[in-house]
Amino acid sequence: MGANLSRVYEGDDGRPPAGYPGLADIPENCIAGIFRHLSPLDICKLARLNRAFKGAASSDLVWAEKLPVCYQDMLSKLPLSKGQFLPKKEIYALLCKPISLDNGTKEVWLDKATGGVCLAISARAMAITGIDDHRYWRWIPCEESRFHEIAYLQQLWWFEVDGVVKFQLPAGEYSLSFRLRLGTSARRLGRRVQVFNQVHGWDLKPVQFCLSTSDGQHATRGYYLDQAGEDGPVGDARGKWTDYHVGNFVVENENKLTEVKFSMTQIDCTHSKGGLSLDSVSIVPSKLQKETENKHAGCYS
Amino acid sequence: MVKECKVKLKSSDDKIFEVDYAVAIQSQILNNTLGHTGCTDSALPLHNVSSQILAKVIDYCEYHVNASSTISEKDVKMWDQEFVKHLDQATLLDLLMAAQYLGIHNLQELTCQTVADRIKDKRPEDIREIFNIQNDLTPEEEEEIRCENEWAFEEEVSP
Repeated sequence: MGANLSRVYEGDDGRPPAGYPGLADIPENCIAGIFRHLSPLDICKLARLNRAFKGAASSDLVWAEKLPVCYQDMLSKLPLSKGQFLPKKEIYALLCKPISLDNGTKEVWLDKATGGVCLAISARAMAITGIDDHRYWRWIPCEESRFHEIAYLQQLWWFEVDGVVKFQLPAGEYSLSFRLRLGTSARRLGRRVQVFNQVHGWDLKPVQFCLSTSDGQHATRGYYLDQAGEDGPVGDARGKWTDYHVGNFVVENENKLTEVKFSMTQIDCTHSKGGLSLDSVSIVPSKLQKETENKHAGCYS
Repeated sequence: MVKECKVKLKSSDDKIFEVDYAVAIQSQILNNTLGHTGCTDSALPLHNVSSQILAKVIDYCEYHVNASSTISEKDVKMWDQEFVKHLDQATLLDLLMAAQYLGIHNLQELTCQTVADRIKDKRPEDIREIFNIQNDLTPEEEEEIRCENEWAFEEEVSP
């Protein structure tokens, strides 16, 4: 056996002829070497190729490299120290499901294709000016939110939302976004419909979005959440959940807690604004960041 | 102190190759062996590597010994890509196994990455055909693997 597969044979398309030894003959540790260069999803796909691939696809060595450095920390947040002694592949699968933090106000999970650590911070975890006043804000149950509820602004002049999250993130670049929707939904005659009658004020001045980290990084962006039209404000974003990308930050030291503060404000009190649904803030590895869809809403740094 | 001696290597099909010491010790295995025996006149037998593959391994090692101080990383990468680009599947796999056997870390990485690139966007059925893999799993075992890995292919539920 050994490295003797490529003796001269007749066949000019790079394929071994039928019956000739092939990838099946290479030892499991070599397959594990190949798997180190494949994504977790590819490894799962290839597990059923043959016995040797099945073995390599379960190898702790392979999966240990796919787990982030903070995986023990993530496991410790699971109830009943579930998973401490599982094979690494099963730990990976476990951590791909959202793990609740801080009394259910935050979640952390691994992106299954890349193993990147993702965070979501619910509106409940944020300091929202006027949240306790029912004239201004309401909490509404929402199936489209991973936290099953959103904060809905009816009308306000001083619009300010602040939040902070601390987590031991692996080294890398991350993007932070606010998940917002203009309008809300309501039940009319047994059907769920979009309601925009309270949406106003977002086309007049931009909302300022900010983030800052404990090691001095910061980013700011302004977005018009709605756009002025001939007959009043119209916006493509109405009714759609949109991720407003605030900016990126870099984690260099993965042995420390990273603290990120974020906010969105529109405190120009010459005009009121309302009709806005706030779901959450998300922090994901920047290569997973989707472009902010609301391209028609003006944006400036 | 750089040793100036030559090292003789014998392939599985009994061909002798002579290489510089610096080239030979790119292989961890040969580095360890030569560390014990020193330079000798007798050829070190490499039972697992054919002459065709050994020639390629030596090409790779010779380039990399010379490249380490004189050529930019970018150019080395380009050379590596050319080196593997037109290899047929069987040769590529033989090289991968030879690199593993001889402990040539960067050649291992290069060949593993190349195989990974060639299989990553293909369906298992196509990979079986291209690489001539016989499926030695029973239908029950295949089904069990499918269930075990279902989590990887489930649709994301949460937004």
